[in-house]
Amino acid sequence: MTMTQTLPGTSTQAEVQQKGRIRGVLGMLWRDKFALAATIFLLVVIFCAVCGPMLMGDAALSQNLRGRNAPPFSIANGWFYVLGSDSLGRPLLPRVVVAAQNTMLIAAGAVLCSSIIGALLGLVAGYASSRVGNVILRLADVIMSFPSLLLAVVVLYILAPSVGNLVIVLAITRIPVYLRTTRAEVMEIRQRMFVEAAEVMGASPARIVFRHILPMVIPTLVTIATLDFAFVMLAESSLSFLGIGIQPPQITWGLMVSQGRQYLATAWWLAFWPGLAIILTTMSLNLLSNWMRIALDPTQRWRLEIGGKSNG
Amino acid sequence: MRKLILGRVLSSFFSLAALVVMVFFLSRLTGDPAALFLPREATQEMLDNFRRLHGLNDPLIVQFGRYVWDLLHLDFGQSLRQARPAIDVVFEGFAWTFQLAAITIALVSIAAIVIGSLAAFRPGGIFDRFASVVSLIGASAPDFWVAIVAIVVFAVNFAWLPTSGTGTVWHWILPVAVLFIRPFGLILQIVRGSMIQSFGSLYVKTARAKGVGNTSIIFVHTLRNAMLPVITVIGDQAAAMLNGAVIIETIFGFPGVGKLMIDSILQRDFNVVLAAIMVTALAIFVMNLLIDIAYAILDPRVRT
Amino acid sequence: MKRSLMLLGAALLSAVHLAMPASAQNASRDVTIVLGEGVDLMEPCMSTRSNIGRVLLQNINETLTEFDVVGDKGLMPRLAESWDQQNDNTWRFHLRKNVKFSNGSDFDAEDVKHSIDRAMSKDLSCETPRYFGSTKITATVVDPSTIDITAEPKQAILPLLMSIVTIVPSDTPVEFVRDPIGTGPYKMTAWNVGQNIVLERRGDYWGDAPQVEKATYVFRTDPAVAAAMVQTGEADIAPSISVTDATNAETDQAYPNSEVFYMRIDQGKPPLQDKRIREALNLAIDRQAFVGTLVPAETTLATAMVPPTTLGFNKDIKPWPFDPEKAKALVAEAKADGIAVDSKITLIGRSNLFPNVLEVMEAIQSMLTDVGLNVDLQMYEVAEFEDIYGKPFAEDRTAQLVAAQHDNARGDPVFSMFFKYHSNGPQSGFSDPKVDQMIEEATAATGEDRAKKWSELFAYLNNDVVADVLLFNQVSFARVNPRVAFKPTIATNSQLQLSQVGFK
Repeated sequence: MTMTQTLPGTSTQAEVQQKGRIRGVLGMLWRDKFALAATIFLLVVIFCAVCGPMLMGDAALSQNLRGRNAPPFSIANGWFYVLGSDSLGRPLLPRVVVAAQNTMLIAAGAVLCSSIIGALLGLVAGYASSRVGNVILRLADVIMSFPSLLLAVVVLYILAPSVGNLVIVLAITRIPVYLRTTRAEVMEIRQRMFVEAAEVMGASPARIVFRHILPMVIPTLVTIATLDFAFVMLAESSLSFLGIGIQPPQITWGLMVSQGRQYLATAWWLAFWPGLAIILTTMSLNLLSNWMRIALDPTQRWRLEIGGKSNG
Repeated sequence: MRKLILGRVLSSFFSLAALVVMVFFLSRLTGDPAALFLPREATQEMLDNFRRLHGLNDPLIVQFGRYVWDLLHLDFGQSLRQARPAIDVVFEGFAWTFQLAAITIALVSIAAIVIGSLAAFRPGGIFDRFASVVSLIGASAPDFWVAIVAIVVFAVNFAWLPTSGTGTVWHWILPVAVLFIRPFGLILQIVRGSMIQSFGSLYVKTARAKGVGNTSIIFVHTLRNAMLPVITVIGDQAAAMLNGAVIIETIFGFPGVGKLMIDSILQRDFNVVLAAIMVTALAIFVMNLLIDIAYAILDPRVRT
Repeated sequence: MKRSLMLLGAALLSAVHLAMPASAQNASRDVTIVLGEGVDLMEPCMSTRSNIGRVLLQNINETLTEFDVVGDKGLMPRLAESWDQQNDNTWRFHLRKNVKFSNGSDFDAEDVKHSIDRAMSKDLSCETPRYFGSTKITATVVDPSTIDITAEPKQAILPLLMSIVTIVPSDTPVEFVRDPIGTGPYKMTAWNVGQNIVLERRGDYWGDAPQVEKATYVFRTDPAVAAAMVQTGEADIAPSISVTDATNAETDQAYPNSEVFYMRIDQGKPPLQDKRIREALNLAIDRQAFVGTLVPAETTLATAMVPPTTLGFNKDIKPWPFDPEKAKALVAEAKADGIAVDSKITLIGRSNLFPNVLEVMEAIQSMLTDVGLNVDLQMYEVAEFEDIYGKPFAEDRTAQLVAAQHDNARGDPVFSMFFKYHSNGPQSGFSDPKVDQMIEEATAATGEDRAKKWSELFAYLNNDVVADVLLFNQVSFARVNPRVAFKPTIATNSQLQLSQVGFK
């Protein structure tokens, strides 16, 4: 989305081109039904995250021990109960909707922090002198070997329990993969002809890195980040049990999944719906990013433009 | 190459030292092992006695000095919980984890590279869609779900495999299969993405223009070029596994280093935590070195 | 590449190489027992820890006396045939003759003396001294089958305390051992750490030979897997499966596990120092609504810190009724008197205390909020939880309700009351001179008088002090393979005597 480049020319020309470009992108999106479905689903998730707690906050917390573990697909108790109810008799539909907010905040926070920090360090490690690169890489080694649980326990003891600390713990543990991946790509790309050409032409290192190298690295990082979303959403709940991060009655999908764990045999729906939400969100993010990678790559776009016929 | 290895051994030594110092001091900020080892109703005398026996009364810096001194004599200290050398405890767990990780990562790498390359050959095609969706579901499904459902289906209902534990080859199938799923999804996506990118790049086109056949394009040019991020991510996943596959170990009763590490952290068995971290860190350092050597072999232009 | 392949091959080979385990069903006199918690030590003096006790206690190492928690036989002889009181401080124990340790040596009074000295030694950190508190114990050998044990100051329940001291041979080193030697009907023949422990029946046991010839203990943290193992025949007994998995009436049995679940009230901070608020807490919780929903239907409501089989248990105490209206009225009354009823109360729980602890805590929180109290929930891992649960309490804390479990299957309240209610008790949330005095008197009393004094204390704590919010006498579930005859009892939490396992 941010990769749409503004071409040189007057502002009006640019606007017209921008509009045409957006229309073209939307058209391509319309033709690829998978990507379209993914986009719609993500919009729904975002809507839930923003408005969910406002709309259904109370319903999500109304306990009823006598109506616990009600099976799904019955609206006898109202449509809030269409996905069933949990072990405290709370309706699952509002809970999944309300949980979207915390889940998205934590997952997006952790993934964005770790990917941005990791990518920046990786760019430096790949492009700067080998001494600097070495220091950064050994730092990554240390983080990679430092157990995240220990980090969480340390943070819990030194700082007070809070959601912010949860994001910090999750972000730190995920930095190395972005760092190492970025560095690996940079090392390969910087040998390519166009980078060498830019160097010869006297482009500044910052310009080469951000203008020429970063765009080539981003697709891989985005692929990792989308799958990290799922990882972070699930990992978050295990840290909640240590006492840092989300504490009930606040909810996240990860917490709902792990609370439903012991009911897998008797009331599968407790863990199933939030788990499904995690899977669908991850899948949508991934499908959309894969689609964008092709749509925004001039050498690949033809696949989508004729996509309607050959690929279905 | 020799310079690379020598330099790495030296710098890894510093990483390891930094790690030990950090873990030693940070872990000791997190509470008192005496209170956890002894029952709640322990008398003050019992607590004092425990601390005296395990040298927990000394200033932290003295404890650290003693630890380093012992370490230089290859003594990793005693496990508080198990009353035997911490390094023995760790080696036992690590042997299991290493086998599990090696088998799984080998299978994952082969499967993901083959299927990912095929999927990338025709992005958006049926095969690509199918492979992507299946692998993504696997990669984002909670692993305990998969594990428990697998036990219920294959061990309880069909009775094909044992539920859990160790002993025979059959015991390995479920843990490896469940552990396989998540990295497979991730690595497959990376392979697919890198391959698509490489297909679009200039030199593949050149090769095509030169009339090199389809298969050789994939394997000689594209794959080789796409491998750098792929082996990096494989390395990351392998490192995660060497740190222990906690859920798998817990559910399948697999005596690996992951569960050992968690138990030791929760029980503040510092010597075991430290020994476990040193052993896994060493393994991770070696692996990262191997990866960097692989970079150099795959792409001789790359400075490492 | 070649090298990595070789490595892989080696790893695979070593996996194949390991021998097939004997399937539980093959041998008719062997059992496999799947436990929820691994065993890190096999040290006799640590057998009061439930994970160690279930394997070791009375199977490998025996005690002089044995308390019958299940029935009403009280204190029974084991390695001591009888005992009598010599004077206020000294008891004489007459030991069983012709008893051999599994290493072949004879059992005599020297072994008892060494076992006591070792368990109380300062060079070891055994759990045993916790039961003796500040009492000093001296053992004097009279002759090989007679020993005098002296307590200073006098200890009314010394013979009961001897049910805690496991007997080891006199040449056992004063350091933690990993190969326990005992007089029990079984000896340990294999211990693959993390995988299994094997006990085999001894031919030269002094008592009746039990039916089980060989017992293999395996460890599975996940209760669903433990349940599945018994279902598939891989194991015979799973003493703690989850209530949600206990769906098969033929194999699954509920049993009281001697844990009492309660919330400690911290009287050091407002608004909990006000008795009306403490009453409101008790009235606000619909205990009965939990039973059969979040906690098993077999659960009973707790009215004391100890299970009903304990000496002096007061049957006249009734559980608090559920009366939210009255609770609200009490809160309003306290507010009118200027009590800061809006002050935050932190409800503190421990993760993994029992399977659905989080839901139980959430339900409690919601019930307390409903009567107008300002309650936050915070779950902690075990170390931080213990930090908060025990003294010294943090000065800057908010008012706290700490939800904890307490296990006392030893038959006497003395192992609980000082710790939970005395002003100097490490987990006591209040200070009341009358309670202190009652505890001290009951601890020193004997016989009927002792039972009566404990009874009075329970009533006073519940009705006058409103010391805590007592919730449930907890229940566990065991799954037992139909080929095996085993009935779990309140003792199963701390020991699992193989001699009580039979075959059908």
